[in-house]
Amino acid sequence: MKIRVMIAVCAAKFVGYVCKKMGRQGVTWAGKVAIKICPDILEQLSSQVRKAIFATCGTNGKTTTNNMLCAALEAEGQKVICNHTGSNMLNGVVAAFVLASKWNGKIDADYACIEADEASTRHIFPRIKPDYMLLTNLFRDQLDRYGEIDITMNILEEMMRKVPKMQIIVNGDDALSAYLAMDSGNPYVTYGISKPVIKSAANEIREGRFCKRCGEKLEYRFYHYSQLGDYYCPKCRFARPKPDFDAEDVKVGDQLSFCVEGKHIVANYKGFYNVYNILAAYAGVRTAGFAGEHFGDMLRRFNPENGRMEQFRIKGTGVTLNLAKNPAGFNQNISAVMQDQAPKDIIIAINDNAQDGTDISWLWDVDFDLLGNDSVKSITVSGIRCQDMRLRLKYVDIPSILQGDVEKAIRDRVEDGTGNLYVLVNYTALFSTRNILKRLEGER
Amino acid sequence: MKITIGHLYPDLLNLYGDRGNIQCLMKRCQWRGIEAETIPFELDDKIDFSKLDIVLLGGGSDREQMIVCEKLQEIQPDFKAYVEDNGVVIAICGGYQLLGKYYKTDQGNMKGLDLVDLYTEQGEGRLIQNIVLQSDLFDMPIVGFENHGGRTCINNNKPLGKVLYGAGNDGKSGYEGVVYKNVIGTYLHGPLLPKNPQLADWLIQHALERKYGKETELTPLDDSQEKEANDYIYHRFVRG
Repeated sequence: MKIRVMIAVCAAKFVGYVCKKMGRQGVTWAGKVAIKICPDILEQLSSQVRKAIFATCGTNGKTTTNNMLCAALEAEGQKVICNHTGSNMLNGVVAAFVLASKWNGKIDADYACIEADEASTRHIFPRIKPDYMLLTNLFRDQLDRYGEIDITMNILEEMMRKVPKMQIIVNGDDALSAYLAMDSGNPYVTYGISKPVIKSAANEIREGRFCKRCGEKLEYRFYHYSQLGDYYCPKCRFARPKPDFDAEDVKVGDQLSFCVEGKHIVANYKGFYNVYNILAAYAGVRTAGFAGEHFGDMLRRFNPENGRMEQFRIKGTGVTLNLAKNPAGFNQNISAVMQDQAPKDIIIAINDNAQDGTDISWLWDVDFDLLGNDSVKSITVSGIRCQDMRLRLKYVDIPSILQGDVEKAIRDRVEDGTGNLYVLVNYTALFSTRNILKRLEGER
Repeated sequence: MKITIGHLYPDLLNLYGDRGNIQCLMKRCQWRGIEAETIPFELDDKIDFSKLDIVLLGGGSDREQMIVCEKLQEIQPDFKAYVEDNGVVIAICGGYQLLGKYYKTDQGNMKGLDLVDLYTEQGEGRLIQNIVLQSDLFDMPIVGFENHGGRTCINNNKPLGKVLYGAGNDGKSGYEGVVYKNVIGTYLHGPLLPKNPQLADWLIQHALERKYGKETELTPLDDSQEKEANDYIYHRFVRG
C-alpha cells in the first residue's frame, strides 16, 4: 500500500509540474491522477496531520477565511497544509495534500485548512474527518448547480452527523448556519456582530425568513445584510446565539477595525463582509487553543493576491478587482465600492460558464440601483452575458457601455476614465481578468 | 390609467430573479406614463382580487411551495373567479405548477389551485438549461432558463409556445407553458419578462383592456437592448 501512495504522489507531482510549465492551473488534474492510482490517498495523507484539520464551508468568504486561518496558524509557528487557490472539490483537496507531501508519501504538518465546496463535502468529509468545521454563511448561489439552499443544508446536516466529534465554528448571525450547528448535536462555538453597523437595503433578498425549527416567520431586531442580523423566533425558542467571539466597535471605511476579546483588530480591507471573514479566522485560531497574539501582525502582512479586492496600477489608474458571484456577495461588493466616494468607473463582467452557473437570473436579485450615484462616472458591461447585464441596469435607469471584450473594456477606461477603476467579475472571468490586469500593469 | 400588480407571497416564492419580472412590468408602465403599483402579499394577508389587474405567482423551493399550497386553498374560490373573469395572471415555475390540479412528488401530493386543467408529476432528474420558444402570440422568440423536476401535462389547453431549444413542459411533447384566457403559465425564468418585452406588454395590454373595457394600443418603447439580449440567446442556442 505504501508503494501505491508513493507512486500516486510522484505521478501527481509530475502532472502538477507539467501543467504549471504549460501555464495551466493543474491542481485538480494532479488530484485526479493521485486518486486514480491510489483511491484512499486522501485518508492516507490526511491522517498524518499531527494536530487538527479545519474544513471551511459556506456560500461566501470561504477562500478568504480559509487562507486567513492558514496564515493565522502559521503566525503561531505551525506548519499548515491549505488549498490556497480555492480548488475546493475532491480533486482540489487531494491535490493540496499530495503536492504538500514528500516523495515518500510523508506529510509534515501540524494543521490542515481545507476549503470545501458544500456539495463536495460528501466526498471530502468521510475521508479527512475534520476536527473543526468553519461555517461562514448560506446564501442563494448557482441554483442550477447546487439546487435550492434546502439541498445544501441537508448535505451539511448529514456531514455533521457523520463526523459527530467535529466542532463547528459558526456565524451565529446567519439563522440558517446557526440552526444547522445548534441542532446538529455537534459541539459548536459562535461568532457574530451584536450591534448594527451599516444600513441594510430594505428590499434586499433574504433567505430563510421562516424558522427552520417550527416554520414561524422569524423576527429581526436588525439586519446587517441579506439575512444576517439579530433574529429570533416568536413561537419556539430559536434565536441568535450570544456570540463567543463578538466583534464590537466595528468601523467600516477605507480600512476595517473592530475589537474582539479586548484586542483591537485593524485590517487594510474594504467591505463590511470582511469583518466576518476576519472574525471567523480569529475564532478558528482561538478555538484551536492559541491566544491569537500574532493575529494582528498576520493581518497586516496578509495579502491574498487572489482577485479579492486586489489592487493594480495601470498607467496611473488605480484598479481594484473583486469577485462577485451571487446576490449576497454582489450587494456587499457594491456597498464596498460605494464607500469610496471619489469619482470612479466600474466594469462588470458576467460569464455563464459551467463553473459560474449557466443561469444568470440572479443578476436581478442584486441591488444595482445603488450604483445610480453621481460618483459613478461610467459603467461598462462585459463578459459573455454583457447583454443581460446591460438590460439589468436599464431597468434601474442606469445607462451602460457594452464591451464584450474585458481587455478592451479595461484599456478603454484606463484611457478615458477617472483614474479610479473597479472591476467586478464573476467566477470564470476572475482568473482571465486577473491575468489581463497583471499583464497591463507590466506594460509600459 | 393605472395598473395594480399583486405579487403573491414573495417571502416564500422568490426564487432567482422573480423580482425582475415585477421591475419590468412597473418600468414598462411608467415609461409610458401609466401609473403602476405592486402590492406584495404575505401569507396571512387578505387578498381582494377585485383591486388587482395583474397577479404574479412565482416559484419557490419545494418546502416553501408546500407551505404556500395549504394557504392557496383558502383563496382558491376568489382566485378562480378572477381567472374566469379574464383576470391577468403570470405564473412561473412553481407558480405554474400550482395553477393545476396537483403536483405529485415522491414527498407526497401537493394540491394545486385548479385554475387551469393541468397537472404535474415529478420526473426522473431535473430539466436545467437555457430554453427558447416560438409562440403564436408574438413574433419575437421567447427566451429564458428552465430548472424543474416536475413534468407538466396541459391536457387540451393551448401551450405558450413550441420548444426550439430546451425541454419544455415534460421534455417530450415539444411544447412549453400554457395559455388559458388571460393566464400564462410557464417554466421560464431568467427572469422571464425583461428579455421578452412582447410578453410583458401582452400582460399590460390585457390588464388595461379588461380594466378600462376598451381596446388599447400601447405606446411603443425603444426595445433595442431587450431585442439584442433576446437575439443573443436565440442565435446561441437555435441558429448557431
